[in-house]
Formats: sequence, structure tokens, C-alpha cells
Amino acid sequence: MSWSINIVCRDRRLIRRGGILLAFALAALAFAEDGNLHAPQGPVAGKPAEIGTEGSGSATLYLVGPSSAVKRDVELGKSISLSAKELQSAGRYIAVVCSPNCNTVSFFVAPAKAASVTFLVHPSRAAVAQNDAVSGVALAFDEFHNLVLTPIAVQFQLTAKGSVPMSRNAETRDGIAWFRTGSGRSAGPLQVTASVSGDVSARRIVQQVASDPCRLRIKGEKTAKGIVVETEPVRDCSGNPVPDGTVVTFTAKSGNETSSVDAPVKQDVARAIILAKSPVVISAASGVAMGNEVHIGGGN
Amino acid sequence: MLQTERPELLSLVSSCIGRRTLGIAALAFLVFSGLSAVFAADSATQVTLSVAKVGPREVEALTQRSVVRDYKFAWANLGLALQSNSIGPINGLFVGPASAWLSDAVQSQQQSGLSSRYSHQIHKLDAVFYAPEGDVIELHDTAEYDFEILDGSKIIHTEHATVRYVVLMTPGADRWVIRQLQSVPQF
Repeated sequence: MSWSINIVCRDRRLIRRGGILLAFALAALAFAEDGNLHAPQGPVAGKPAEIGTEGSGSATLYLVGPSSAVKRDVELGKSISLSAKELQSAGRYIAVVCSPNCNTVSFFVAPAKAASVTFLVHPSRAAVAQNDAVSGVALAFDEFHNLVLTPIAVQFQLTAKGSVPMSRNAETRDGIAWFRTGSGRSAGPLQVTASVSGDVSARRIVQQVASDPCRLRIKGEKTAKGIVVETEPVRDCSGNPVPDGTVVTFTAKSGNETSSVDAPVKQDVARAIILAKSPVVISAASGVAMGNEVHIGGGN
Repeated sequence: MLQTERPELLSLVSSCIGRRTLGIAALAFLVFSGLSAVFAADSATQVTLSVAKVGPREVEALTQRSVVRDYKFAWANLGLALQSNSIGPINGLFVGPASAWLSDAVQSQQQSGLSSRYSHQIHKLDAVFYAPEGDVIELHDTAEYDFEILDGSKIIHTEHATVRYVVLMTPGADRWVIRQLQSVPQF
């Protein structure tokens, strides 16, 4: 019958051919099954992976991840390759394949191995011999800035000049390890290092400074200008010279009269001139530290 | 019956208050309905915070309130950004890797003609780490929301999802900002 139509009418033959093509297309659609999707096995950030598909025919892939959204044509029945770049961010990905019905699979991409450490250390300056004065927090990241959540050994090392290096081992929990410790006894730089897996480390410096003056010793001398009083080198309780500018207050008491003068420490010593004609008792104080008293006769 | 009544009603109303007034009223309605949509998106996001497991530092009450407020605001704006494919809403709320990831997500959505929509968000936060000096807080967020992926205006995926996030927030000049927002299969 179709043969006769083809002979009789050329236009009708074209229509018939179109009909056959349409039938083929419909058949192809019928055979293009919306197959299941198979999530990649243990995908890791920055590494290529594959989504398995079932069925046949062409389809459209939508891949939505933490930092990406991809739409591209794929073939059902073949594995869908996901490039390393498409999977750089750790987290949940949703793959939707439509042909035209949509199938969905979700999967998690794990962070890669630790490649950097963010190391927060406080404070930048700490007085010596203080309990729990220095603390540090280390966060482990992979090369794509994903927080590495599997437990990793972290070694904290504290090194100060003239003292034995101190080491503390910790393990990250949810990507974080931390420590807290007292400051050392010597003023100077304290080097704090956090090392992950031996080859990834970060270093910070805490400047340890002398604490408050511990004891004051003063001496006085009568001169033509007045009574010159000065401290012996002012040190904290660990023997570190206090910083220049630390204020020492000299107090002179003569009878019922009391006068005082503040003098900054300069090159470890604070110095002042007290004008007095009658005998005076001079003392010194800085912070909570009190010095000795010196008795100096006035006038002669 | 209705078809005949409507023009009569309209003509009656327009004769009473005039076309210009109607136009202003319509404009006001549109503006307020738009604003209410924005506030609805914000208020629809529910955030609760537990500090029972936190250490080594305790989270002060004021900090708790700030974290909840800023996290909620950040998620509301994250939703707006991914729905409108604009990074404007997330400026200043996300920093570092979180900001870069979201910007990349918005950009790739734009390129692919996709958008995504978060709604009915409920976030249950557990503070698990608060640094001794208070300069970083780590949260576990068990988030529940409706999520849709759209290709143009066609919805290609919809789900009610429960997703767990590990979150790092740091204090900014006037708010807490999200530095890391990483979804995980489990805590």
C-alpha cells in the first residue's frame, strides 16, 4: 500500500518518510530508559570521579555542588566523568540526569589530605612566667581550602632562646587542634610552630617581655644639686630587666612633709634628684614592688 | 454574572478615587508585597544554638545572640543569592573560602542557566569549639530545608533535605561572618 502511495504521489511519499522517522524517534525515546544513577565511590576533592548510569540514549546532566553548577549533555549507559576541577570543594553534590524524566543521586566529596595549616596564636606579647598566657589554634586545610575533618596528629613546638624546646602533641577534632601554656621565664622571642604530617607547618612568634618589677633596691648620694637617688637595675621576679619606661616612684619624707617624683626606667635604672635641706627618708615603689628606705641627712 | 459585575465595580471604584490614586495604591501594594517577601525569607529561616558541648571557652550570652542573628541573616541571604544569581546579598556575610565558594556557585549557575531555591529552613546549631581568645567558633549545623534546582523556570529537582554542615565563624568589625560552610555526611 505504501509502495503504491509512493508511486502515485511524491508529496505523500515525503510525508510517509517523515512519519517513519518520527516512528523511529519515538521508538528510540521508548528505548531510552531513565536508568538509575550510581554515585561515585569515595570521591575525594580535586580527584576525578565517575557517575554510573543505566539505560541508553542522550540525557542532560545537572551537577550542583558547594561551589559549582554544571549542565551538560551525557550518554546514558556510559559513565559520566566528573573532572577534578568540578569536584574541588568538599561537601554534598546533587547529580540530576534528565532524559526527559529525571533521576537524582547525591554524594559527598571528602577533603583531600592536609596541605596547609591556619595557625592562630595569642597574644603577640606576653609577660614572662604567666600561667596559661599563650594559646594556639591550628586548623588543617587541604589545597582547595576544605577543612580536613579526619583526625590528624598535630605537633606544637615552643622554642625560646636559652631554654629547652617544649613539644605538645594533639590531634585535630573536627579539623581543629589547640593548646594553651604558660609563658617562659626568659624575655625574648618565643617561636611557636604547628606541624601537621611532618611536612606542613606554620610558625608564629610571641614576644615574651619582662613582667612587673619584683624588688627594688635604691641608693642615694648627696650632691651640690641635691640628693641623687637611683635604683639598682630593676628586674622582674625571673631576673629579666624590666622595659625602659617602667615608672618608679620615689617618695621623700621629711618631718611631716612628703613629696614624690616619678622617674622612668632607662637602661635598667631609674634615677631622680630630690631637693631637700633637712634629713629625709627616701623610698621607692613600682607596681606592687616596694624598695628599701635610705636615710640621708639634709643641709650638711 | 461575575463577568458583568467586575467592570461595574471597577468603574465605580475608579470613578470614586481616580486612576492616579489607583496607580499609586497598586505601586504601594507591589512595593510592600516585595518587601514582605524579603522579610518573609528572613523570618522563615529558623536558627537555634546550643552551647552545651562547647569548649575550651564558654560562649557569652551576647555572643550567642550575635552568632544566631548573623548566621540566620547569612543563610537568608545565601538563599537570595542562589535564587537571584547575584552575589550582592552575600557581600560582607561570608569571607574567605565560604565567600569564594558561594561566588563560584552563583557564577556557574549564571553560566549554566540554573538557579536554586532554599525554603523552610531550620538550622540547629551546636557550638563545638570556641577558641581560647574568642577569635573563631566552630559550629555543627543540622539543617533541614526544602531545596529546588531550576533550569530556567523549570524545576528539575526538589527535595526536603537534612544536611549537616561544619561551620567556622569569625568575628568581623560589627558581626560574626562565615568563613567555612562545609557539608558533611555525618558529624
